[in-house]
Amino acid sequence: MGDIITLPVVSLPQQTDRKSEPSQANTISPFVERKLIPVGPAYLAHVRRVVHDLSFEEHDKHVEEEEKRRRNLEREADDEDDLGVGDEEETEDVLSLDPKEWKKQDHYAVLGLSHLRYRATPEQIKIAHRKKVLKHHPDKKAGAVGNSNDDAFFKCIQKANDVLTHPEKRRQFDSVDPYYDLLEADVPTTQQVTKAKNPNSAFFKLFAPVFEREARFSRKKPVPLLGEYSDSKEVVETFYDFWYNFDSWRSFEYLDKEVNEGSDNRDDKRYTEKKNKTERARRKKEDTARLRAIVDVALSADPRIKRIKQEEKETREAKRKNKSGPGGGPSKAQTEEEKRRIEEEDKAKEEAEKVAKAEAKKAKAAAANAAKKARRVARAEAGEVP
Amino acid sequence: MSLNGRIPNGAAQATEVPSVSVIGINFGNSFASIAVLTKEGLAECIANEDGERQIACAISFHGEETYIGNEAKQQLVKNSANTIIGFRNLLGKKFSELPKDRPTSSAPVIQHPDFPDTPAYKVQVLQPAPSPLSPAASALTTKTNTPAASQVATPRSEPIPAERVLTPADVTTVFLRSLLQSAEAFLGKDVYGAVITTPGWFAPAQLDALHEAAEAAGIRVLQLLEDAGAAALCAAANASGVEQSAAVGPDRTQLVVDLGASSLSLSLLAVRQGLFHHLTPATHHPDVGGDAIDDRLLKFFAKDFTKKTGVPLKVAPASEGPDARAEARLRLALLHTKRTIAASVAGAGGSAATCAVESLKDGLDYTGSVNRLRFDMEATPIYGVVVTRVGELLKRAGLDWICVDEVVYAGGSACLPGLDAALAVHLHEDALTPFITGTVAGGGIGDPTTVLARGAALQARLLVGIGVSSEDERIRKAFERGSELVSVKATARTIGVLFPTASGEGEDGLGGQWIGGMQAETVVPARRTYALEVELGEGAEGVEKKIGLEVWEVREGVTIEKVKAPKEEEDGEDVEEEEEIERKEKRIWKEALLGTLTVGVKSKERRVEVQVQFLVEAVGKLQVSAYQTGNRDTKTVLVI
Repeated sequence: MGDIITLPVVSLPQQTDRKSEPSQANTISPFVERKLIPVGPAYLAHVRRVVHDLSFEEHDKHVEEEEKRRRNLEREADDEDDLGVGDEEETEDVLSLDPKEWKKQDHYAVLGLSHLRYRATPEQIKIAHRKKVLKHHPDKKAGAVGNSNDDAFFKCIQKANDVLTHPEKRRQFDSVDPYYDLLEADVPTTQQVTKAKNPNSAFFKLFAPVFEREARFSRKKPVPLLGEYSDSKEVVETFYDFWYNFDSWRSFEYLDKEVNEGSDNRDDKRYTEKKNKTERARRKKEDTARLRAIVDVALSADPRIKRIKQEEKETREAKRKNKSGPGGGPSKAQTEEEKRRIEEEDKAKEEAEKVAKAEAKKAKAAAANAAKKARRVARAEAGEVP
Repeated sequence: MSLNGRIPNGAAQATEVPSVSVIGINFGNSFASIAVLTKEGLAECIANEDGERQIACAISFHGEETYIGNEAKQQLVKNSANTIIGFRNLLGKKFSELPKDRPTSSAPVIQHPDFPDTPAYKVQVLQPAPSPLSPAASALTTKTNTPAASQVATPRSEPIPAERVLTPADVTTVFLRSLLQSAEAFLGKDVYGAVITTPGWFAPAQLDALHEAAEAAGIRVLQLLEDAGAAALCAAANASGVEQSAAVGPDRTQLVVDLGASSLSLSLLAVRQGLFHHLTPATHHPDVGGDAIDDRLLKFFAKDFTKKTGVPLKVAPASEGPDARAEARLRLALLHTKRTIAASVAGAGGSAATCAVESLKDGLDYTGSVNRLRFDMEATPIYGVVVTRVGELLKRAGLDWICVDEVVYAGGSACLPGLDAALAVHLHEDALTPFITGTVAGGGIGDPTTVLARGAALQARLLVGIGVSSEDERIRKAFERGSELVSVKATARTIGVLFPTASGEGEDGLGGQWIGGMQAETVVPARRTYALEVELGEGAEGVEKKIGLEVWEVREGVTIEKVKAPKEEEDGEDVEEEEEIERKEKRIWKEALLGTLTVGVKSKERRVEVQVQFLVEAVGKLQVSAYQTGNRDTKTVLVI
């Protein structure tokens, strides 16, 4: 509609039937020639209308489209801009954090990244931090009601940013991210799977998030995830192979006890350091064991293993049937299968032998031990008597 | 200053900040300024490396050094023979065209020794001596039995005094390059292009010379924009952000007063929804300017100096050595004094501006001060000349002072509040000036020193926003010099509608309420839409009521009546005879009735909004349509 000029109220007496006078002129006065100064948006619009030979209505439409397109562009640009972070609401808990207790705070929650956590990119962290700072800077609170010196949350934000922007510190924090504590404690069991109505789907439903969660600790990328029921034998094998040999970057420096500050006693320091070191090692060991336990449970409950075994059995059956079946001479595949079976049997035998050997060795050692013990006892008795 | 809000004439002006950076350069004869676009899409005048927003157009050569800008101006004191100022106006001029008798305080203009009829400057410089032969080069010559050259570098010999001859174009190139560098240093990235302002009176040859000089300086010239256009654009951009008073609508008459240091330019523009054109050719007066004010102030301070110290000092013009140097010093100090005066709040009589010069003459320091009143007294003759010139301009356009709706100031000397006061006496009391809207002080949006550069920057943004297709190329051409698209037709008379009253009475004896729809001097094709709230009489519900309106062409003018000044009661004794004062009023006279329209309105409310749209096509067809807002069925159209 172009520009509408709104004028103040015109008070009018009612116009009912006024006789219209005859027009005194049938054209407007002739135009005068002028020279425009080629400047400004209105001149551009004027030129557009002349060049494209548009009427005002057509031009309006064009402008509207242009405007729409521009808005869309802007929106896209905006979306790119903030990467969808920093709009999270802060809860009371987060706002009342104590910067002195920064080790205990959830840095992701402080920066409003709790929906992303370890997935947050450095750019997202930067943007989120900037947004939070803009919102919570102490300068903004000057003059506000209450304690205007209260910059506790701002300090928390800075601390969170310090931790999350430093790759090593961030790794240490990610290792012990408090958000996952509860989740880690809640590992699905075999019973949960077997008791479910549909054990097959229940297994994947229960274990997929667990492996997804644990995958973040892997040094090797990409990490094979749980997959689905119809996976082939190879896929399943690689999966378990990977997870039994899991190479984790998880470490526990973040939980270290602080060296008593102010104490110059280096013995003290060394003692704490030593303790921390052993503690870290212990935790790491525990973590490895924990993951192994998870994989063990998964392996025992995996419906795919059962399926694969079943399938193998079936093929064997079928083979045997074929072999004993009428008329069918052993085909090449069958002979090969046969060969492999024999080989496997050989191997099994070998292994059995190995085991037997080991057992024998063990028995021998046990016997020797027993003998030793007996001797010792005898000696002791002999010693006591005199 | 944002253009986001109302877009004049339905202009397709997307206010995207272009991805490339563009700048606006105001290149005056005495001072230049640079404006860039901020992230928010505003234009902002920036300071150069020396922290100066008003960059003096001066270049000085001293030994091996070259000074550009305000520090070059300082050189006028001791090194005036090698300091070049006022070179812009010589661009594209022939030596024979230049006035010869002008006294100069800087490097004199001479005939170029090599090119015929070309002005030039001759300056003394020190050229660095050619570096001694490098050991590698000299090694070639020591193949024979001569002893090997010493590895110690030969000490560099003294720089050689030399003479350099520079044409005004050369000087302009050097100066513009320094402006470009300042802008790039500020932006931190390369500048894509610039719009440079030029005086309206520049001849095509001068414009060409400026264009060439700018291209040589590495500036992509997007447009050479007339000063008045830049000022008007900047002011229009301001107005869309600022709440407009009823007196100043989108259609207005604008007076652009460009009072620089060395000249005065006056333009009377018709602003019609963002389209600008001259109502009468702009005038240029090289004899009026800030320098004339300076001369008077110089005399004032010189007299003061003589009174305080007893040392005679003759200035403006100064005759011989020590006086000339003293004048140069004092002139530099005056810049500061004038800025202080300009920044002072009007009416605050106590505020005085100081002028201090160390060792002005004979080793004597000078400190003096001047207050607003005294300053205005000194400057009044110059203000008077400006007022006279404006009066002449208006006369030529056939308009009266009170027809001016808005005044835009540009140029350093226009900052002086006394000038505005001198003009305001004659203007209509509703007329807007930057001083009235309070946008001058503190680098506001109406700041005369930056308005040109900012207007140029806004224009630059507009130009880079044009696309790249072949049709867009045609549009781009329309901004170039000599485009035939600037020649347009405009309406000669104001066309409007009259709501006649039953009794036939109304203001000014028109017989009703007058709404001036399409003002005279509106460039066609044009469209104006007005929304009016109309008060209806009592009527039964559901009954259609009719609003009749007549479309008239009218003549506008001013009536002058002499009235007796109202007697002031308190000091009645002092006034012996009653003074007559003129009271001017804008009036309109009906010329021709073009037709009538009737709108049928159905409404329960006592007030309804009616929209009246005027559409004048290029062929001379007028179409007036009226309808109730939001109800197009009630539309009635009159086509003439």
